[in-house]
Amino acid sequence: MKNESTVVERIVTTTESGTLSRYWMVSALVGLLFSSVAGLLVSLERIDLSSASIFSTADDVFQFWTAHRVALVLIAVLPLMVGLATAIVPRQVGASRLVFPKMSAFSFWVWLFGALIIITGFLANGGVGTPEATSETQSVALTLVGVLLTIIGLCGASTSVLTTIVAGRVSGISLLNIPAFSWSVLVAGTMWLATLPVLAANTVLVYVDMRGRAPVNFGGEAVVWEQLSWAFTHPQVYLWVLPLLGIVAEIVSAAFKNKMSNPLLFTAIGLTGFAGFGAYAQTYFDIGTPVFEESFSIIQAFIAIPAVLLVVAFISPKIKDVKGFDKQTTIPTVLATLSIVLLLHGVVVGAVHVIGPLELATKSTVSAQIVLTLGAGVLAGMAAFSWWGELLIGKSISQRKILISGLIFHFGVGIFAVADFLVGFTGQNDFTGVSEFAAGTDNSSWVETLNIISFIGSLLILLGVIAAIATSVQNALSKTPASGNPWGADTLEWESKEKEEVA
Amino acid sequence: MLTTGFKLWFGLLVATFTAAVFVGYTTGGTETGPLTLGWKGAVGNHIAYGILMMAATTSGLLAILSQSFRDADAEAAAEILEVDIDKVPEAQISTGSSPWPLFTALGVVTMAVGLVAHPFVFGTGLIISLVIAVEWTMTNWSERATGDSEKNRELKEGLLRPIEIPVLGLVGIGVIVVAVSRILLAASVLGAVWIATVVGTIIFLTAYFISKRPSIPRGVVQGILAVGFIAVIVSGIFAAINGERDFHHVGGEHGDSHMEEDH
Repeated sequence: MKNESTVVERIVTTTESGTLSRYWMVSALVGLLFSSVAGLLVSLERIDLSSASIFSTADDVFQFWTAHRVALVLIAVLPLMVGLATAIVPRQVGASRLVFPKMSAFSFWVWLFGALIIITGFLANGGVGTPEATSETQSVALTLVGVLLTIIGLCGASTSVLTTIVAGRVSGISLLNIPAFSWSVLVAGTMWLATLPVLAANTVLVYVDMRGRAPVNFGGEAVVWEQLSWAFTHPQVYLWVLPLLGIVAEIVSAAFKNKMSNPLLFTAIGLTGFAGFGAYAQTYFDIGTPVFEESFSIIQAFIAIPAVLLVVAFISPKIKDVKGFDKQTTIPTVLATLSIVLLLHGVVVGAVHVIGPLELATKSTVSAQIVLTLGAGVLAGMAAFSWWGELLIGKSISQRKILISGLIFHFGVGIFAVADFLVGFTGQNDFTGVSEFAAGTDNSSWVETLNIISFIGSLLILLGVIAAIATSVQNALSKTPASGNPWGADTLEWESKEKEEVA
Repeated sequence: MLTTGFKLWFGLLVATFTAAVFVGYTTGGTETGPLTLGWKGAVGNHIAYGILMMAATTSGLLAILSQSFRDADAEAAAEILEVDIDKVPEAQISTGSSPWPLFTALGVVTMAVGLVAHPFVFGTGLIISLVIAVEWTMTNWSERATGDSEKNRELKEGLLRPIEIPVLGLVGIGVIVVAVSRILLAASVLGAVWIATVVGTIIFLTAYFISKRPSIPRGVVQGILAVGFIAVIVSGIFAAINGERDFHHVGGEHGDSHMEEDH
């Protein structure tokens, strides 16, 4: 039957996983841009700690400081990972489509509207509240509703992808034989479904607290961020970027024509997922005795163990077969390697910052760890686009421009993280406010220099994101058809072809 | 074994009950009030709470009925219809385009925003969600009815059109009546007469023009109607924002009769 639907109808009614995947990733890039701009403004404000520079009050800075983190996780990194999984996972497990295509479409739209509401809430002086409660209560409530909607969308999309892995894969492929990316999505998605509802529950608690009567009291508008912040910091951030381990494994394996040891790699990914579970680390609630507090830190430092396993899993087969490296895969391999380097640095900084005597738990080191880890996720997304781009958009893509975007972004993250890590040792707080007292350190030339370097890092991050968006647009407009399997990879996604959408 | 209908109604029961409790807590209910149907404390906004609890109760009853009568049970249906179920063609599950995910998202988002903005917005979102729930459910049912998509579409339309057309007609007429009344009440007395005369003449002439040219493409007629409908709605919204003209009441503040002041 002839398909008589218009372009607009096709755009808004699609349930096809490839198209939905592109929606997710394009939206994630826009979210990343918003987050990067917010981060840049906060870095700019931080250069002069003695007074307010571009913002009026500490609460204004707080709005952008929290907007940067909330957007980075809920509107950028997670949707980027979900988008990749939506397109690649069904192909990798031999499924003709996602198991719940309509739920996936619903999830995307709910997430998109939620993301727009979050951005609106922040721009309307709402966000996740402010310490001095100068925010607009209605706008805070709106932001919380947006957070809930994005969580619903992300959970729905994750459920669809997970069910596809478990119930939709072709017979003959056991779970332990699925490609590394699908495995990492399986672990990550399971843990997302274990933690996102906790974040939703936190959000409902603070929402009800704001809107309900006095007896229902969890601290009010001034502590909204305290209840939600666990989802945007160590160790939970490892969980948001977990699929990057699968992305890197796939690319590096194909580049060296060498299969990684599945049991070791899968165990490392599983352990990282387990160690990344951060729903217990809720700073708002009293975590109890000093003994418990120490255990809390030790548990968080354990993230280093799977990281070591990962390094062994990645490097050991390569040392033997370094001559087998396929030069054609240089660009995705470079991006993948840089992303794992960022993640490992994030793990190290994360482990260091929970060491009690160093007293770094609330210092700028936190910011370094978050940006390193989530930046690793974004860079892995670029590596994935470099690797699977032709599958994703059906056209030949410009590898060199992706590399340039990735390198700018990588150096931005690196410079920012080094500066924030070091300035943390001077006692500078994670949230600096607009005074030396709030910042926890003096405005010495050493601190100022590090904050200027940090600002330069933020600027490079923003430039990297803009370059990535420009590259994506150019690739989307390209008329050169895809070349099939440019890497000679042997995973199933390069062989399978999704069924044509039924009108 | 739990039937499909039971699962649907039970799911709706859980959703509406949860929504009722949530509305209760967010509109001033006490800790135990919304959970005990108001027996131990206040339930918050009793209208919203009452509607949602009623929906939950109705869903629960329908769930029991569905389970009792073995709905959507192929063997039970075959017994009643005396059909050999092995000979029925296998239904194909549609994986194609669908507008319902987007519309459902719009309904859910409208409800969510309404929680913050205004109960009217929440109510609108709730109505959108309920309408879409029915439409989507019927679409899914019809897609599984037979292996012939055209037959499935006819089955769905046969069931839903007798409800959709009168309901949409009523809603459309109601919206136009409200919008026109806002326009006429916002204008001066003389202005209202002129508006009614001019608009009436335009409608009459347009209808006459269309009737004299039966070959006009269907899309053009639809376009003219759509433009007219939007013009009335937008004008009505602007008129409602501007408010009604001043009235001088006769016979006291609450008198039934009144005189209008033209200005």
